[in-house]
Amino acid sequence: MIHLAQSRDIGAIANLPLLWVLALCVFGVIILQSMIYMRAVKRNAESADMSKAEVRAAFRAGGVASIGPSLAVALVAIALLPLFGTPPVLVRVGLIGSAATEVASASLASGTMGADLGGPEYNQTVFVVALMAMSLSGAGWMISALILTPIFKRGSVKLQQVNPALMSVVPGAALLAAFAALTMTELPKSTGHIIAVAASAVVMLISLLVARALNLAWLREWALGFAIAGGLVAAYFAHYAGLGPAA
Amino acid sequence: MATATTTPSHEAFERTTSTWGTITLSMGLVIATSMPFLLWMFSDLDITWAQIGVAFLAVFAVYGAFYVIEPLTYFPILGPAGMYQAFMIGNVANKLLPAAIVAQSTIGVKPGTRKSEYVATAAICGAAVVHVVSMLLFVGLLGTWLVSITPDSITEVARIYILPAILGGVTVQLIGTLKQFKGTIIALGVAAVIILVAVPLLPVISPGGTAIAVLLTIVLTWVLRDRHTRPTDPQNMTSIN
Repeated sequence: MIHLAQSRDIGAIANLPLLWVLALCVFGVIILQSMIYMRAVKRNAESADMSKAEVRAAFRAGGVASIGPSLAVALVAIALLPLFGTPPVLVRVGLIGSAATEVASASLASGTMGADLGGPEYNQTVFVVALMAMSLSGAGWMISALILTPIFKRGSVKLQQVNPALMSVVPGAALLAAFAALTMTELPKSTGHIIAVAASAVVMLISLLVARALNLAWLREWALGFAIAGGLVAAYFAHYAGLGPAA
Repeated sequence: MATATTTPSHEAFERTTSTWGTITLSMGLVIATSMPFLLWMFSDLDITWAQIGVAFLAVFAVYGAFYVIEPLTYFPILGPAGMYQAFMIGNVANKLLPAAIVAQSTIGVKPGTRKSEYVATAAICGAAVVHVVSMLLFVGLLGTWLVSITPDSITEVARIYILPAILGGVTVQLIGTLKQFKGTIIALGVAAVIILVAVPLLPVISPGGTAIAVLLTIVLTWVLRDRHTRPTDPQNMTSIN
């Protein structure tokens, strides 16, 4: 069988200037959305008894709180650069995807071409097919959100009219259940995962107790960053002590 | 135009965020999806629609259910405005929701109130800016250099443990923000039963595990609520104690 000499240099096609322009456009759209939303919050916050100072404080707290997660995500995204090239990583991880979903999708798609992600068979053709599958899957998420949100909104408005108390009890319970379930999904994966969850939880608990005892507002905002760092450091030692998931 | 209204109102907020949320999310959708097609056109690689179809089906088989489950799970938490932010930026559980929770805890509002919705929206905007800056700076600008100096042992640990390292802390902070003893016990108990008992017994339900836990918790919290101390203001119902 004739095997076409296929280039395995992903960067050669992934760094097309046009793709860089697309990546910048994606971030432009995110910033545009945030600006429009912030303006809507500033204009209408008064209707919910929220002061301008509180709007600023909420924006700042959200920004500070996301520094830890953003650095962690950036670190994972950097590890993906040799596989996908810079503009595709920016678009896939920067937009709807998370690093974990994109890696899993890419290896599923590469598998249908008889290639392992980053393996000897992983060439430009496999890369473009994988990127295509990842992008179409990401599109599925976004289209579904575009269709379902207005439908859910009508449903919740109706529910709110019928039973306002139900709608006010829903979000808090739903949020905690979602995070409890997501956290517990991590536990059976390995002892290393359990240690990461526990270390992160303990650092957060200590931070919050200290923040409350000494009345330190900044510590409440930075607590998540410390918790992530604590979780990853503990996981590092656990992982290389052989407590990680079976490869 | 919705933005031209002068008096602050929740209706104006919802109108602006729904209209512009739909527009911006659609723009993101078109730009992101066009990328592989442009690569295909400009690289003259020998690729067929059949290959793309098979590859997409392999991904869809695993993630297709999430297209519906994730909006269903996050809508009660994010509200309509936040949905357009979340499904544009992604990273919902590891970045956007934690940002909203921290901001609600800093301002001192409980989830479910109207004010908490505004706090969450502003917080996600703040998180979006940090997200964009961190991606452009550390991945776009410095990425190639950073990848050459970061030891594999560190990126490996970050890749495997990023999610548990975030979730442990966020869950604790959330419990502290809610200050809702009964609700906490119900949510933790239901999640443990669904994820650690039901899912291993019935692996079929595993993609919907979180959604099932969320729905069951909502029902139980409602059924087991404190009836005799019913407050007059329904906005305070989230705090049971």
